[in-house]
Amino acid sequence: MSERNMEEKVEQATNSKNVSLPMSRVRLIMKSSPDVSCINQDALFLTTKATELFVQHLALSSYKNGSGKETNTLSYSDLANAAEETETFQFLTDILPKKILARDYLKSLEEMEKDDDNL
Amino acid sequence: MDGDSSTTDTTQLGITGEYMTGGTYVLQAQDDDGDESFNDHEDGNGGKDHFREQDIYLPIANVARIMKNAIPQTGKIAKDAKECVQECVSEFISFITSEASERCHQEKRKTINGEDILFAMSTLGFDMYVEPLKLYLQKFREAMKGEKGINPVTVSEGLGEELTDDSFTGQLPAGLITADGQQQNVMVYTTSYQQIPGVQQIQFS
Repeated sequence: MSERNMEEKVEQATNSKNVSLPMSRVRLIMKSSPDVSCINQDALFLTTKATELFVQHLALSSYKNGSGKETNTLSYSDLANAAEETETFQFLTDILPKKILARDYLKSLEEMEKDDDNL
Repeated sequence: MDGDSSTTDTTQLGITGEYMTGGTYVLQAQDDDGDESFNDHEDGNGGKDHFREQDIYLPIANVARIMKNAIPQTGKIAKDAKECVQECVSEFISFITSEASERCHQEKRKTINGEDILFAMSTLGFDMYVEPLKLYLQKFREAMKGEKGINPVTVSEGLGEELTDDSFTGQLPAGLITADGQQQNVMVYTTSYQQIPGVQQIQFS
């Protein structure tokens, strides 16, 4: 998402006091971080708004990077790929592990054991 | 024991009376129903004590709506993708918050302010959000200020008479946000009104 796109979005915002995510819930999540005592109103607003931007950014990036087979649908694997390939989203790799089929995993396990035997 | 083959006596069945009455049954957050109801409703959940803190998510409907508006109109979103972004969002918030919190601590401050959040975003690779966010914040502040101006204290009787305590039971300006731990804008009301000689009484009719 380029900076210019971002600025356009800001200009388009008609009711800019409005946030589409509940600030009280955002606050709850922030408070669950260790050692967080007080959060000022500006900080809460900024975090909520940033979260909206983040959702848009993540959704669009993943969609564009789509597998190509089903470009119409944004799938879990599109997200997992975005997490791995985009530096900004790398903090998500722990919670977005790439899913593989069980039989593929077992196959690769077998191959690893074979390699061990050959040593 | 007598020859009666069936019995409903709990002691003979080897089950204690307490067990049979059920006792307390707590729904854990791991239970799917518990999670979904908490995540889908915007109101606070009555059973707050029973969920794990790391399971706090933003409502999936809101998240899904934002995603939908971001991708081209013809696009669709898989259900597990929506749930996944919900989790990513909580991760993102925690990520930013802990970075901002750390900086706060380093500077021996207790309250996380807007600057801390913006700085954290810059540090963590989200500096493309910073400029738009500053603009959003400006508009937000203006909107909040505007609301305070529109709602002055309501006066039931005309000026010139002593204002009673009753006239101050009216609403606080809608722009006030009061929440624990946040800066509160305190308005001080006086109970006496001094008529200034020479100033014409303003008629509110």
